[in-house]
Amino acid sequence: MAAKKAGSRLEVEIERCRSECQWERIHELVKQLSVKLISNDDMAELLMGEAKLEQYLKDNPFKQGVSPRGPRPKLIDVRKHLTAALDRGNLKPDFMQEANMIMAKLNYVEGDYQEALSVYNRVGLDDLQLVAAPPYKLRMIAEAFATKGLCLEKLPLSSSTNSLHVDRDQEIITCYEKAGDIALLYLQEMERVQTANIQNRSPKPGPTSQDQELSFFLETGLQRAHVIYFKNGNLTRGVGRFREILRAVETRTTQNLRMTIARQLAEILLRGMCEQSYWNPLEDPPNQSPLDDPLRQGLNTKCYALSRRPRVYMGENIFCPQENTEEALLLLLISESMANRDAVLSRIPEHKNDRIISLQSASVVYDLLTIALGRRGQYEMLSECLERAMKFAFEEFHLWYQFALSLMAAGKSARAVKVLKECIRLKPEDATIPLLAAKLCMGSLHWMDEAERFAKMVVDCGEKSSEFKAKGHLALGLTYSLQASDASLRGMQEDLQRKALLAFQRAHSLSPTDHLAAFYLALQLAISRQIPEALGYVRQALQLQGDDSNSLHLLALLLSAQKHYHDALNIIDMALSEYPENFILLFTKVKLESLCRGPDEALLTCKHMLQIWKSCYNLTNPSDSGRGSSLLDRAIADRRQLNTITLPDFSDPETASDSSSLSRADSPLHLFVSTHLPLSPPKSDHPLKTCVDTELSCGPPDPRLRSIHATSIAASRVEQALSEVASSLQSSAPKQGPLHPWMTLAQIWLHAAEVYIGIGKPAEASACIQEAANLFPMSHNVLYMRGQVAELRGNIDEAKRWYEEALSISPTHVKSMQRLSLILHHLGRYSLAEKILRDAVQVNSTAHDVWNSLGEVLQAQGNDDAATECFLTALELEASSPIVPFTIIPRVL
Amino acid sequence: MLGSERGVVEEWLSEYKVLPENQLPAYAATLHRKKTLVSALYKVIQDPNNELLEPICHQLFELYRSCEVRLKRFTMQFLPELICIYLRLTASRDRQSNGCIEALLLGIYNLEIADKDGNNKVLSFTIPSLSKPSIYHEPSSLGSMALTEGALSQHDLIRVVYSDLHPQRETFTAQNRFEVLSFLMLCYNSAIVYMPLSSYQSLCRMGSRLCVSGFPRQHEKRWKDLCGRVVLDPGFMVQLLTGVYHAIYNGEWNLGQEVLDDIIYRAQLELYSQPLLVANAMKNSLPFDAPDTSKQGQKVLKVEVTPTVPRISRTAITTASIRRHRWRREDGIDLPSDSNPGSPTLCHITDLSANHEGDVLVHRTPETNSPEAAVKGPEGTIGGEDSINLNDADEGFSSGASVSSQPVGAKQTSAAQRSSSRKGGSVRSIKEREPQTTPSKPNENLRDVMPRRPPAPTADSSLEAMELSPMKKHLSLPAGHAVAKATSLSLIRTSSTSSTKSFDYVNGSQAGSSGGAMEGVTNLSACNTNRFSTISLQEDRLGHSGDRKDLLSPGAPLTKQSRSPSFNMQLISQV
Repeated sequence: MAAKKAGSRLEVEIERCRSECQWERIHELVKQLSVKLISNDDMAELLMGEAKLEQYLKDNPFKQGVSPRGPRPKLIDVRKHLTAALDRGNLKPDFMQEANMIMAKLNYVEGDYQEALSVYNRVGLDDLQLVAAPPYKLRMIAEAFATKGLCLEKLPLSSSTNSLHVDRDQEIITCYEKAGDIALLYLQEMERVQTANIQNRSPKPGPTSQDQELSFFLETGLQRAHVIYFKNGNLTRGVGRFREILRAVETRTTQNLRMTIARQLAEILLRGMCEQSYWNPLEDPPNQSPLDDPLRQGLNTKCYALSRRPRVYMGENIFCPQENTEEALLLLLISESMANRDAVLSRIPEHKNDRIISLQSASVVYDLLTIALGRRGQYEMLSECLERAMKFAFEEFHLWYQFALSLMAAGKSARAVKVLKECIRLKPEDATIPLLAAKLCMGSLHWMDEAERFAKMVVDCGEKSSEFKAKGHLALGLTYSLQASDASLRGMQEDLQRKALLAFQRAHSLSPTDHLAAFYLALQLAISRQIPEALGYVRQALQLQGDDSNSLHLLALLLSAQKHYHDALNIIDMALSEYPENFILLFTKVKLESLCRGPDEALLTCKHMLQIWKSCYNLTNPSDSGRGSSLLDRAIADRRQLNTITLPDFSDPETASDSSSLSRADSPLHLFVSTHLPLSPPKSDHPLKTCVDTELSCGPPDPRLRSIHATSIAASRVEQALSEVASSLQSSAPKQGPLHPWMTLAQIWLHAAEVYIGIGKPAEASACIQEAANLFPMSHNVLYMRGQVAELRGNIDEAKRWYEEALSISPTHVKSMQRLSLILHHLGRYSLAEKILRDAVQVNSTAHDVWNSLGEVLQAQGNDDAATECFLTALELEASSPIVPFTIIPRVL
Repeated sequence: MLGSERGVVEEWLSEYKVLPENQLPAYAATLHRKKTLVSALYKVIQDPNNELLEPICHQLFELYRSCEVRLKRFTMQFLPELICIYLRLTASRDRQSNGCIEALLLGIYNLEIADKDGNNKVLSFTIPSLSKPSIYHEPSSLGSMALTEGALSQHDLIRVVYSDLHPQRETFTAQNRFEVLSFLMLCYNSAIVYMPLSSYQSLCRMGSRLCVSGFPRQHEKRWKDLCGRVVLDPGFMVQLLTGVYHAIYNGEWNLGQEVLDDIIYRAQLELYSQPLLVANAMKNSLPFDAPDTSKQGQKVLKVEVTPTVPRISRTAITTASIRRHRWRREDGIDLPSDSNPGSPTLCHITDLSANHEGDVLVHRTPETNSPEAAVKGPEGTIGGEDSINLNDADEGFSSGASVSSQPVGAKQTSAAQRSSSRKGGSVRSIKEREPQTTPSKPNENLRDVMPRRPPAPTADSSLEAMELSPMKKHLSLPAGHAVAKATSLSLIRTSSTSSTKSFDYVNGSQAGSSGGAMEGVTNLSACNTNRFSTISLQEDRLGHSGDRKDLLSPGAPLTKQSRSPSFNMQLISQV
């Protein structure tokens, strides 16, 4: 504290070196110091003692848990310096304290814990001033507290009373906590001073280049407290301690520590806590908690105060987690951003270990993120996080696989398939991966060739456990079956159907307890009109899985194919009691009801469906999954949906890809989808209401129309796309979200229209059609129904025009073809009618009314032999024809 | 069932009925200690034909309905067992016999879906966002987030409802079954720490049986169960996993892991991506060292001490360091451009350079050893690199740090070292550096400076070359750089994939001309002096080209004087 200017400059320099732990420089500075004042001698002793001790510790670092005992020859010098300084007593009280603290540290290093403690008691650590203390002093005090804690841990307990034991434990921990807090403060101060130096352009920045490494004592002070808490099973305080460290403003030196602590705290939150046991970081912890070891109950609140605390993150609108998962997520995101930064990108062999380290630390974080986000169903966000992990992922199967699965869970099918391909390359022996890929391909993507390739991979690949092999055959069978539905050539269709049947049979024999194998075998048999065999297998499937909606549906259709309509209706009713909101079952019910119970019942069912639709989609509406509610996301969703629309798929509307999307009214995907719905309620059901009230006494359905069941399956994708464009032109249609809930609604209206047509009510029918047309003006189903109404009104020309329009949108729409050719037949244009009908037969060889019409046309042309054959075929097919095509039952893996 | 157990249950049944209201808390406090009662209750629940089942279910519901939370939890502990029995009975054709269990489950569900006022309970949580300050971080200190769709949509904290609007249910149907059961598991998981060990065991048992029954794997199990496959729903499986995860770390280490495997097996066969995803993560993150499992029911939540020193070697190329590589590289490349007489604009602002001297030096000091050595203000204000990282879509969260990691240099570039030839000087300074860095890196630095040295054939060097290539396009290269040039074509791609828009190189090479790019920098830097200085550091590195005075300084690529002017120049050119 020399008053002179030169002296004070030197002092500043010394202070700085002590703060920055540059002990080598102290030696020369001390030389300059001692020439100036005699009273500086003691100061010099103090400094030399400190410098030598610290240098020794730097050269012989402590190891955790190892405690060297006994005096060291190298330290004799240190003791000499310190004793000299202390004995003469010329130092100011401040420096006396410092000398004492160094002495105590020396005692600890030499293993004299008792002596160290008594020195600390003499100094009175708790009374040392933290406010306005220079950084080096903070460091000394922090180290002193840590050392005191270490000494206390080393010393045996004098008394073994339990309460004393607890007290001692608490004292030790308090020492470490104080040490940790002051250490954080020191590091913050250091950084502040350094930055200030930068800004003030202090004369010499000096060689501070090497990063500050924490001494053993500071390190202990920072970490020992929470380690002890967790060792003692006191989770509450351990968590509290973690939070305190994390809340302190970060310094360069604590970054690594923060990264690990953030991860560990997240682990604790996810593994050891739950929503009900949670308390937020700004609250006091509960006094009693099941988290803590019941035998070691102590106070759960902090019991010490410091005159100065490390700075913490503060601010007006600062985010404070209120919930378990929230806090875990926040911590993991912080940890992730740090881990990500340390990603080792170079591939040279020398860095292998670094790569492993960086991969491990990141991989743990990503796994925890998966667990936390999976719990809350946030797969979309998860897939974005895992995408960031890709920089670690070279040849790392786990990361690739997790990324693929997250994409799949988030509904990003196309990308998921691409990533799964890489997974297959990395782990060709895992049968699950190609199966997952096949599932995606035959689902919304409808990439049948790819699906076939993946399924073959599973089937062809060597020995596997039978259940996976069976799944592979099932996948293969489904691909063939779906391809058969898409195929336009009869020969190819039959070939594919045969292959599908074989694959399903293999699957069934390999895994006889799998109801899906039995069910799809039954479905395939049904599609190729082997009704009795199909019945046998569907019964088997139902035995294995009694309330499977698809099996029940198939059973009902099979019964309807045998013309047991009442039985079929009973089965449907039974299925509906288990699945009251399953639209695909309800559609079949409408058809069956108009046959068995008359149109009133059918109309009631339609009305019921409208109610269900309203409740379903309004109900799920407010649960907007946050992320989906933003405009951006909506735009993305729309774009995505357009992508699927523009897929080159001109399949018949009866293909499973469409019907499956309809049937999944209760699938999670569907719920996700529905969140995009606007709040506007569906159209009012006015035509129905009026009719149900007034038309209770209508005659039986027109027999002429009985055979013409509009498949009323979801329209093809082309239709969707066109409707999309058209309705965006109109700009009045209430469509913003994905189509499929709206498609369901349109289908309901069309079904109602059909019932009205059946009872000869063209006005009501066209009102219903108009409702559907508002949603999908360019749907071929809508146009076809308009044609039906026109026919009912006797407007043949108009009907012809509607059918032609329907066909221009969907050239393979069999029912339009059939009706159009009938009209042409009546107009006497036999050859054109015949041509159209022959095309229709190519598309769907099991449509008996097409065969029948073909027979009629041929007969009219005088070709009686061929006509007879057609009639016979029609008769035969009619005998096995279900009320709704079997293919409306979804085929998904 | 033994007579004594029966007695315990019957006593429990009658005891509660006569219990006066005011003794409820005391009763609740003792109830969970009755171990024999709990095990007897399990036995009754497991036996669908036991005539005590119905009164027990009734009483468990009464307990659940009471306002005493400990009584609620007493009932809650049986939830896994109840769900298991219910699902297995449903799968078998013996549906009638589980009427009272069904009623109990539905009763709990209907109580849980409503809050105190009878409104529908809405469970929601906030997705934290790193772009909003929290009690644990400040956005700037982490560097900026990638500008992805996700990041944008998350710019605000988003409140997500994860369980909402469950309608009252009078009956179970196949359609609502898992909606109800998943919600029940959610409730169970939200109170899981209050459950006794026996409940965890029951949970694990349930997981195993439901997932494996009827599958070939069942034959490997010790237990025998005559039960077909039980339908499971992916959402329910995820909830089940959450519970099992807790059990693994809180006393059921072995059993829990077995269930985890069973769930993975089932999820694979069902091709359910969600449970598979979560279960894989759980399995992969299990601690490597199995804890001491001798003591049953031990918690295995451990924390380890971690050294604060970075574990990743300083020489490794990391996400954070890749940027500084680029700069260093550009330092080297800049040399040729120095041979041109520097642009006149640069010369007359040299005096400003002194202002930045301090900055440059200190920023550099943190050096390689901590890659995240961001130049943060004491108030944690600004990570040095922020302004630039805004454009860095590639890096996820990139560190605010990489700026600092320039090679030592600073010390060596003191004025004393000035020598006659700039080129010679730079070579020297690199030589000085060389011993301090690993062999792999100086190569790259030297390649351009000293053409005689061929590029090292390491992956890492080609990477370097990639970063450089765009630079080369802007600079006229001496013939000696042909080697590097050859690689440049393939490298451009890489640099563009990093999609940083190569902000930095644009700045560096086209200093004065690319006004648009500059604008960003200046705008950003204007708002904070701290930032200003960091940016100046970067800019300096890149555009130190023409300072005449500095042509004489030996450590040229590293001297601050040679850099800051260019930055100032850029600022001025903006104006």
